[in-house]
Order: sequence, then structure tokens, then C-alpha cells
Amino acid sequence: MQLPVINDAPASKGGCSASSCGTTENQMDSLPDSIREKVQNHPCYSEDAHHYFARMHVAVAPACNIQCHYCNRKYDCANESRPGVVSELLTPDQAVKKTMAVAANIPQMTVLGIAGPGDPLANPERTFETFRRLSEEAPDIKLCVSTNGLALPDAVEELSKHNIDHVTITINCVDPEIGAKIYPWIYWKNKRIKGIKGAKILIEQQQKGLEMLIAKGILVKVNSVMIPGVNDQHLAEVSKVVKSKGAFLHNVMPLIAEAEHGTFYGVMGQRGPTHDELQDLQDACSGDMNMMRHCRQCRADAVGMLGEDRGDEFTLDKIEDMEIDYQAAMEKRKVIHQAIQAEMDSKRLEKATKVAQHKAELKLTTRPVLMAVATSGQGIINVHFGHAKEFLIYEASPDGVRFISHRKADQYCGGDTTCGDGESTLQVTIRALAGCEAVLCSKVGYEPWEMLEAAGIAPNGEHAMEPIEEAVMAVYKEMAAAGKLDNIPEAVRASA
Amino acid sequence: MAVKIIESCVNCFACEPVCPSKAIYEAKPHFLVDAKKCTECEGDFPDYQCASICPIEGAILDSLGLAINPPGSLTGIPPEKMAEAMAELQSH
Ligand code: SF4
Ligand code: SF4
Ligand code: SF4
Repeated sequence: MQLPVINDAPASKGGCSASSCGTTENQMDSLPDSIREKVQNHPCYSEDAHHYFARMHVAVAPACNIQCHYCNRKYDCANESRPGVVSELLTPDQAVKKTMAVAANIPQMTVLGIAGPGDPLANPERTFETFRRLSEEAPDIKLCVSTNGLALPDAVEELSKHNIDHVTITINCVDPEIGAKIYPWIYWKNKRIKGIKGAKILIEQQQKGLEMLIAKGILVKVNSVMIPGVNDQHLAEVSKVVKSKGAFLHNVMPLIAEAEHGTFYGVMGQRGPTHDELQDLQDACSGDMNMMRHCRQCRADAVGMLGEDRGDEFTLDKIEDMEIDYQAAMEKRKVIHQAIQAEMDSKRLEKATKVAQHKAELKLTTRPVLMAVATSGQGIINVHFGHAKEFLIYEASPDGVRFISHRKADQYCGGDTTCGDGESTLQVTIRALAGCEAVLCSKVGYEPWEMLEAAGIAPNGEHAMEPIEEAVMAVYKEMAAAGKLDNIPEAVRASA
Repeated sequence: MAVKIIESCVNCFACEPVCPSKAIYEAKPHFLVDAKKCTECEGDFPDYQCASICPIEGAILDSLGLAINPPGSLTGIPPEKMAEAMAELQSH
């Protein structure tokens, strides 16, 4: 996925408006109108908007003022990016050019984020110059920033002057003793401060920054990295605290730790959560919090729609040569955004009607099933199994269909190189789908078909080009009708 | 008396703004300290500022040529563990 960034949220809205849905529908319902307004077409927050709109990141902020145990500073900030990725560092001027070039060429791009490669607020000059210029020169682009929070209280005033749509704070704990196991040191008031003392200051700054942003009326999203055995038991508490202070979303992301990333957790063998553990925690937290499930960890310089990376079209030398008439581009963008809006509205309506119908139908009493879907956007099933860079995971139950998460696939056939050792990559992909009982794509090849079946995942290519939620529900009903649902042992899920 | 930035520097810019003597500058392939300007922070701070924010162990040396942040001191990864993990990775 390279770029997920751009559009991050698929739509589960519709199908998902069943009552039990822990995702967007409820999420949105519980928000005040002013916030809902801001959020509902946001690619990162609205699951259906994520199929239509996109965001991008620029890497202008290299320095960091703390150390996280899941980060290796040779790479990008691991809070917002995938670990082990190095982005091309841009000057504010290059970042502004790149953003406008992308916006002119990919009208779906509506949100620009600064997320690294270090902590944006530890680089205030570079970050704020980028924001200042974009607020002036490209006022139709929303801006967002993510931070570890240490320098946040000092930045709130300046942030409130720009077109800032929301701020993301990574908060992994509210207890310094737990913090000391996550953050080995911070740089604070001209000193490196280690251990509990450093963690305590960081936590205080994060909480203070959160309160100040809320007081200014700026939207705040909180990200947490779930680290089994360190803060997994503690995150429900974090969720409660940040919600009570007014954060509008809490997003729990899995720890990704591999020895080759050279991070403390990677080298020391700390494991990340399984899909089930993550989902259970998200479910537990969503009871008292708006929980975001469609977030994917993006690269700090990602560009593209769901599942694609178009970063190569916008390298420095290419944007250097582009002549952008932003005034004209803005007009064009406006027209396209209106068309997209109209399409989204009609789809939302259509889905709401379907949901109402579905509710009126006879209730099934079967157990829920997880299914994987291959899509490149627009809310339809339109990607070949072997070309899917990631899968969207949905849960179908008698209450309807709800979006659960993204899972990255390792493409087993990229068309270019790796078909030689393709088989093992295919196995990796199948492992990534553990816990799912069906996978819906536009097509499935012969070899993966057999392997999927052997792994207990039913391949399904019958719903190509159909809307995701309807197809998932149709497959679920077929499974129920075929009597498959009451007999399959719980163990299927437990083995994930 | 001056500190020195060596090749393990990852060009993260963190040290440059915190130097009270404006002794640090961006250069290729990595940041450098102007030995004539560096005061080792004397009179300004008790600790070398550059080495207090630098995230990379061994990237900054004191005037004796010793790493101000030796292996393991910042990441908490014991050096033998790191060596083990790297050997393990190479063997694949
Ligand atoms: S805040 Fe980001 S860049 Fe800084 S140490 Fe943590 S993950 Fe790395
Ligand atoms: S030791 Fe102090 S004066 Fe010398 S380069 Fe580092 S920060 Fe600057
Ligand atoms: S802080 Fe360290 S790694 Fe970063 S630029 Fe300075 S010397 Fe290099």
C-alpha cells in the first residue's frame, strides 16, 4: 500500500449502518454536528470518503526530540509511517511545489499531512513555513500534522493560525512507569532525560497539548501503538482519558517489530499483536470511544489512492519541470469534488435504504464471519487476488456488514520481478488472511485458488465490480443457507 | 577543544538548532562541527547540546575521540544483543 495515504478509508458506512456497528456510522452519529461536518468527507476518518478522496504526506521534518522503542532514527517516524521506510527529505519550498503538483494532477487529493521523517513539531520552522505557504497558496487543501506531543503546548498558538484540519497525537500511555518501557529518553530543556522522569514529562506535555487544542476548537485524533505485554492492558484507560478530554477519534495501531529494522523492540524480540488481539482491543475500546479501524500506517511521503503509490510521478526533478496554474487547478478541483460528493451522497442514500431493507428481512442467527476484499477504491470489488497489495477485512453478521481493518498482502506476482519465489510470498499473503473465511476479488488464479481452499478460505470471484458490502452480505447469506455457519468451530478464528 | 560528528550521522538536523555556538552545519555526506566555533557548550550548558539530542549512538565524538553516546546508551539495546541480531540477519 504504499500509499495509503491518500485515501484511507473505505466505506463501510453503508452496509455498516447496522446497529451493532462499531465503526463509522456510530462514530459519526455520536459526534457533534460541527465535527461531523469536518469529518464526513475526510479520507482518513470517513470510511466511504476514503474510497474517493486521498491524502498525501510530505517529509519536511527530519529531527525528533524523543526516542520510541519501536523506532530507528535511520528511518521515518514510526508513529505515522511503516517502520523501515526512508522518505526523501524535502525543503518547505519543495514540499509546497510537490503538494500543488499532486493536487493539480490528482484532484481527489484533499488533505496534506506532515508526519516526519521525525517529529513535525520538533522542526517548527520547516513545518510552519510549509503550512503557512499552503494556507495561502492552496487554500482548498486541508492540513494535518501528527506529533509525539512533547513540543505540542508551545505549538498550539501557531497551529491555530493555519488551515489545520486536525492534529494527531501519538499517546501510548498515561502512566510514566509504562512510558519508561516505551520511551527510553526525551530531550527536554537542554537535557537528555531518561526513564520514568522523561516519560512523565512527555505524558504531561501530551495531555496538556491535547487540552489546549480542544480549547482552541482544533480536532484531535489520538493514535496508540499496541505493544503486547507493555501497554495492551492499559490502552482502554488511555482511550477513556483522551475521550474525556475531547479527542474525537482513537486509533489503535499494531506494533510492527522486526529485527532488521534495528529497533529496540525488533532486536529484543518484542512481538506485535495478532490480528485477533488487535481486533479484540479495538472492540473493547470502541465501547467508550470512537474507534477508527480503517487507518493504515502510511509512508511519510506517500501519494496515491487506496492501494496505489504514485510517488514516482512526483519526484523532485519531475515537479521541478511542472508548470502549475493553481488557480485553474482549483476551479477544476472544485467541479470534481462536487461530482464526487454527489456520487457519495447517492451511494450513502442507497446504502441506507438497503440497510433498512435488510433489517426488515428475517433475522439470521448465525455467527459472524470475517471476509477479505480486494479493492482499489470506489467501494467495489475490482482487484485481482494476485494484484492486491492489501485487503480490506469486513465482518458479516446478522446485524450487517462492518469494516474491520486493512491487512497488507505481499504481492506474490508483481508482474515485474518476483514470480520466481512467488510461492512463498503467496503463502505469506494467505497467512495475512488468517481468520478470514472467504476472500472476494475480481478474479483468483488457479494456484492461489487451491491454496486458499486448503487454508480454509473460500476464494470468490463471482462479485467482480459489485459494491463491497452487498457482495459480502450476499456471500454471508449463501454461507448461512448452505448451513456452513453453525458448524464451523470457533477454532478457525482462534488460529489466526 | 571541540566535538566531532562522524559518518554514522543520519543527517536528522536535530543537533544544528540546539548548538549555542552555531558550530554545526549541514554538509555532504553528513553534518559537521566547525572546530573553531565549538565551545563544547562551556559557559552555556553543562552537557554537550548536540550529543544530548543526537539519536545515533557513536555519531558524535568528544575531544579525545571517544563516543559521547556509546553503544547501548540511547537505544537500551545491549551491544551483544545487537551483534547477535545482526549476525543472525546476515546468515540468512
Ligand atoms: S516520535 Fe517518531 S521519529 Fe521520534 S522516535 Fe518516536 S517514532 Fe521515531
Ligand atoms: S558541543 Fe556544544 S558547542 Fe560544540 S558543537 Fe555541540 S552543541 Fe555546539
Ligand atoms: S543529531 Fe546526530 S544524527 Fe542528527 S544530524 Fe546531528 S549528528 Fe547527525
